[in-house]
Formats: sequence, C-alpha cells, structure tokens
Amino acid sequence: MSLAIIDGREWQSIRDLRTGEKAAGTGPCARMVGSVLRSHPFPGDIDAQGNKWVTDTALDLAGRYDPQLAFLIYSQQYYAFRFDAPSPEERARLIAAAFEEAHRFATEGGFFPVIVGTGDMIPASAYIDLSRLDGLASVSHWLTRYAGLYRPSDADMAYLGGLAGIERIIDRQEYLALFGGAPAEGDRLPDHLAVAKEGHCFRSTLLRQARMVPARNEFVPVANLETADSLTDISAGVLELLKTSKVALILMEGVGLRDFPLPARRCRNGTGWFSYEPCECQYLTISTGRHQALAYPAGYRSYLEDDEAKEYPFSGYFTSIPAGTVGTLAAARSIAVGNRSMFMHTVTGADITIECFARNLSNQGCMAVIHRQDK
Amino acid sequence: MNCNFCERRCDLSDGKLGVCRMYRQENGAIRERFPHRWSTYMLSRIESLPFYHAYPGSRSMTIGTLGCNFDCRYCANGFIAKAEPETRLDTLYEFTSRELVALATKRGCHNIVFNVNEPTVSLPSLQELAGAAAAAGVPMGCLTNAYMTEESTELMAGIFSFMNISLKGLSADFCRQYLGIADASPVLRNIRQLAATTHLEITTPIIQSVNDGDIDQIAEFIASVDPQIPWHVFRLLPEHKMKEADYPNVAVIDKALAKSRKLLPYVYFHNFVGSDWVNTNCPSCKTPVIERFSLGCGGDRLSRYHCLDNKCPACGRAINIHGRLTGWNSGEGTV
Repeated sequence: MSLAIIDGREWQSIRDLRTGEKAAGTGPCARMVGSVLRSHPFPGDIDAQGNKWVTDTALDLAGRYDPQLAFLIYSQQYYAFRFDAPSPEERARLIAAAFEEAHRFATEGGFFPVIVGTGDMIPASAYIDLSRLDGLASVSHWLTRYAGLYRPSDADMAYLGGLAGIERIIDRQEYLALFGGAPAEGDRLPDHLAVAKEGHCFRSTLLRQARMVPARNEFVPVANLETADSLTDISAGVLELLKTSKVALILMEGVGLRDFPLPARRCRNGTGWFSYEPCECQYLTISTGRHQALAYPAGYRSYLEDDEAKEYPFSGYFTSIPAGTVGTLAAARSIAVGNRSMFMHTVTGADITIECFARNLSNQGCMAVIHRQDK
Repeated sequence: MNCNFCERRCDLSDGKLGVCRMYRQENGAIRERFPHRWSTYMLSRIESLPFYHAYPGSRSMTIGTLGCNFDCRYCANGFIAKAEPETRLDTLYEFTSRELVALATKRGCHNIVFNVNEPTVSLPSLQELAGAAAAAGVPMGCLTNAYMTEESTELMAGIFSFMNISLKGLSADFCRQYLGIADASPVLRNIRQLAATTHLEITTPIIQSVNDGDIDQIAEFIASVDPQIPWHVFRLLPEHKMKEADYPNVAVIDKALAKSRKLLPYVYFHNFVGSDWVNTNCPSCKTPVIERFSLGCGGDRLSRYHCLDNKCPACGRAINIHGRLTGWNSGEGTV
C-alpha cells in the first residue's frame, strides 16, 4: 500500500493513496517523512523561496534516507513566466537562481546531476476561443497548444480551418498512428485534436490567463547525459549511470535550448509534428523511456473519470500510478521532490516523494507519498 | 442617484462609479456596465464550491463576472474581484443567457453556480440567465456575501434556489478592518429573509486570533434562524493582502467548535487537504450518512452517499438535502 502523508502546516493526516481512507502510519519511515514535511513548509508556487524549498527538502530527505537516485523538478520560474511574464532580465535571474539551487543539491548531496530543460517559454501572442463550437472542445488548464474536439460539426471544422492560429487538425487515427498505438490505447483520445501555431494559446476556463506559453520546443536541452538524443533515452541513461554513482535527474521547467546555461545535448522532445509541453506526457516519457502521449492525451476529458468511484483522490486526474517509471526500475533507493505538485508521486515512481499541495497557485501545504519502504 | 443593489448604496450621480465599479447611472436608471460578460464557465463538483447539502454528487458549471462590493483582506479571488474591470475586459467571455445555459447542458452540468465574485454586482444579467436556466430545467445557485439591499435579496431569491452565504464575522471592528464594511447587520437580516425561501448553507472563514472569538455567536445566530442550515467553517488560506499571515491551527479551531457542534447538527471544518470534518452524520443516531473527501483547494468530493431517500438509513430521520443524489456523468449525452 502506498501511503500519503498530507501536511497542512501544524497538522498531518496519513491516508491510503489509492482509497484516500485514513491509514496507520506509525512506522519509522512514515515518522521520518512526517518530520521532513514538518521541517519544510511549502512557501508557495511563485514565492521567491519556492525552488530553495525543493533543494532544502530534498537534501533533508536524502540525508535521512540515503538514496542513490533523486528526481527533482524546479518549477518556480515556470509559474512566474506563465502568469507574470517577467522582463528578460528577470527571467534570466530566475533561471540562474534555479540552476544555483540544482547545483547546491548536487554538490551538497553528492549526486551526479542530469539536468533536463523542459522547453523555452515565449509570450502568448494570441488566444483561440473554442467556446462557441457546436461540438465540444476540451482545453486543459495547462496545455496551451492542444485542444480536443468531440463531434465537431461541419461548420465547426470550417470555422477552425479558417482560424489563423490553427496549425493543424488531425483525427484520432492519425494521432494513434503517430505514436504506434493500438486502437484500444485510443480510448481517451478526442475525435480530433486541434494544434495551435507557436505562440497561440487555446483559452481554458482557468481564471488566470497564461501570459507566456511553451514554445514549439522540437528539441530540449539535456546536460551530462551523452547518450540521450531523445526524451526516450533519458531513463535508460540514468539507470546506467546509477551503476556507478548517485544520480540526480533534475527537470528545469520553462527552460529550453535558448536559455539553458550549461553545455547540453539537443534532445528530441516528441515525434513527427508533435512536441511535448511540460506536463505529464513529457514527464512520463522522460521517466519511462517510452512515448506517453496516449495515457493521458492532450484534449481528453479527464472529468468523465472523476466520479465518486475514482481511486487515487490525491493524484489529480491520474486513475492509477503509472508502471515502468525510473524510480520503479531502479533497484536502489530513490526519492523525488518538486514543486510541480502531483507529478512527483505519479510520474517518478520514487520510493518516497515530496511535493507541494498547491492548486492554481493556492498553497495548502505539502504531501509526501511513500510507495516503498522495503529497500 | 444612489445604487440600490447593495447596502453600500453608492452615489452614482455625475458619472461616478460605486465600490464594485460594475454599475452606472443612465437616463435615471441603474445599469450594468458590462452585461452578459463572464469570467469563466468552469466545471466543478458541487461539493467543491462548497454545497454539501444540495444536489449531492452533481456537476456544476461555475461562472463569475468581475468586481465585488467588499474589500476582504484575504480574498482568494482578489485578482478578479478587486481588479479594475476595464483592465480585464479582454479576458471575459460574452455569452447570451441562452448560450450560457446551452454550454452548461452540452458539458453535462446539472446546475449553474455563480462563485467567482459577488453576484450582487451583476444581478440584471443573472436575472435574465435564471429565466433561460429555468426554461431548460437547470437550477441556479450562488456564493454570496449577502450584503445586498432588501430589494436585491428578493431578486436573488427569485434567481437562485440554493445559496451559500459567507458570514465572515460579527464584530463591527472586524467588519471594518477586514471586510471594508460598517457592520454585518444587513447580512444577518438577509440570511433570515432568505432562509424562508431558499436552500441556505453558510460559510465562515476563520482567522485565528481575529474572528475565532465570534464562533459561538455565529453558531447561536444560525441556530436561531434554522439549526438545519449547514455551516462550513473554513480554515482561512492567507491570500491577497494577508499572504504573510499564519495558517490557522487546525486543532485550536477544531476545539473552538465544540459548543457549536452541540447547537448545530451540520458543522463542517475544512478548506484544507484531508480534513476529518467533512462527513455528515445523522443528527439523531449519529450514523454516517454522507462521506466526502476534502482536497482543500483541489476541491471536495462526494465519497459515499448512504441516504438515498434523503433519510438516515439507520433511523429514518430526514436529512436536510436540497434535491437528490445526482450521478456525476448522468448529464452526459448531448455531445
């Protein structure tokens, strides 16, 4: 059973991650993780200390658990870019500060850092509103270039075809074929997927509008991994490195080839015309070494699965914990810490994960998940 | 000429705008400045809003506009509610009432709930929307501070069949310092008035050492109106002008609610992840009749519903539920 320890500041609750029911968590591992959570209250997604929290928490956890693998995500700059669109100078300062935090973790913790930039951000040049279609458009709060279309009418398709911001519209079969998926793997796919041109952004119903969005990052930078030409190569490369050293796999959100400050390889961030945006598909691809654009595809209607029977209530729209992730494949001990909320315990597979419990920038504390305590 | 929508009754003469900045005077009448302009049309579980005793399990389409007649120091939606409306017009959707209702049904929603900002600032548009919603059989609800005039209260009772009123505090000092209003008496008056016609739930965000001293008094007030009214005590999430404030201590607030729980059968303490105080027990035999999860800002959700006829399965006592259990996906099918 995976345990979730929720820390709402001065108050903790231990739950069964799958059912959400209260669970006993009196063992030494739960006590240790509870203590780490108490020592590091999350300051907030765009708080100036957000990335420092990742390093401090990860160092503390690493000091107590002694892992060989640490999977970290630094996201403070990504949220700032997305919602505040700071000046180029401020962006550079935020990125430099994020890399300093990564460096601090690697040097103080004694880890060999493999650093992946998840892609550059650019100003949102125009918004595409799909609210008036006859059919249904499914636009996620966090993906900006992809929208799912369900039963669009002929008039809808003609309208979409005339929009300047649309790059392409493909149907379900085309999408499946792009990733070599079997028909059964397409259950969550929309009838059609609309793809926006670079800089254009599908409007979601989120109250805070994106001011910067991911560029069309065909390639992303990867530092310190000479064997990686694609996102799908990273997991195997990290597992290989683990044979000889402690490794930190570090994702730098909102940083791409343009802004990456270290020598890096250009690493393919997708396939064909498809480029990942920084979200679960990209993280899962990095973590599992396989393209993962079908599990929770762009434009799918996650809310249909969000009824009272849904398991993993603290895992967002994830209905199970993905298999084959780098944390589960590593025989050695592993941890994951990051300020990109639920992705830490879902996509990394690490034995122990700590993540913020913040949604839409509202900060309600932290959550740890203990997947394994038998290593 | 003074605005007659909310109790501030702002002077709108000579082109002046009121506190909410959403009404103006035109040819001797008060008009909305931005009618039928909406800030969102989001999907939500009704428990997240929160309504724990209305249409359990249902899918709500939540909507909002801009502006507010309060100036709460801790407003979670301050960037919408307190922004100068002109600066956010380009972020708004423009839908007629029929279009908005059609969006709700197309997205499988069972009801429409106004929850982003204060509905009093957009009442004419909401009145028209209510007409279209009623024609389509879609109930409407709202979250409100209830600081409206008696005339507006009547209007709102005609628009919304279920409401969650934020009774934020009672002391005049608190109202002045934290909400920017003179006192809470209009809110109390309107709660009494609305309780006779509308399904009410009440929410009180607790700020430790600021308004937690009002807890017993608020419970006594609710009990005097109708003890069956559900009361949501929120652990305040410090936001807006209070970002640096401490989070209230859960154990301290829980202890402070002991007396209230004897007065009111439906007291909930949440707005934080994993709260233990979100289930409904039968007021008579204490059998759990509705179980929920609280995901804090991630939204609350129905977990188990044991009172299918809105009655306790153990002793048969009626539970105060507006509407019936509604399957989350039961509205799907239009598209």
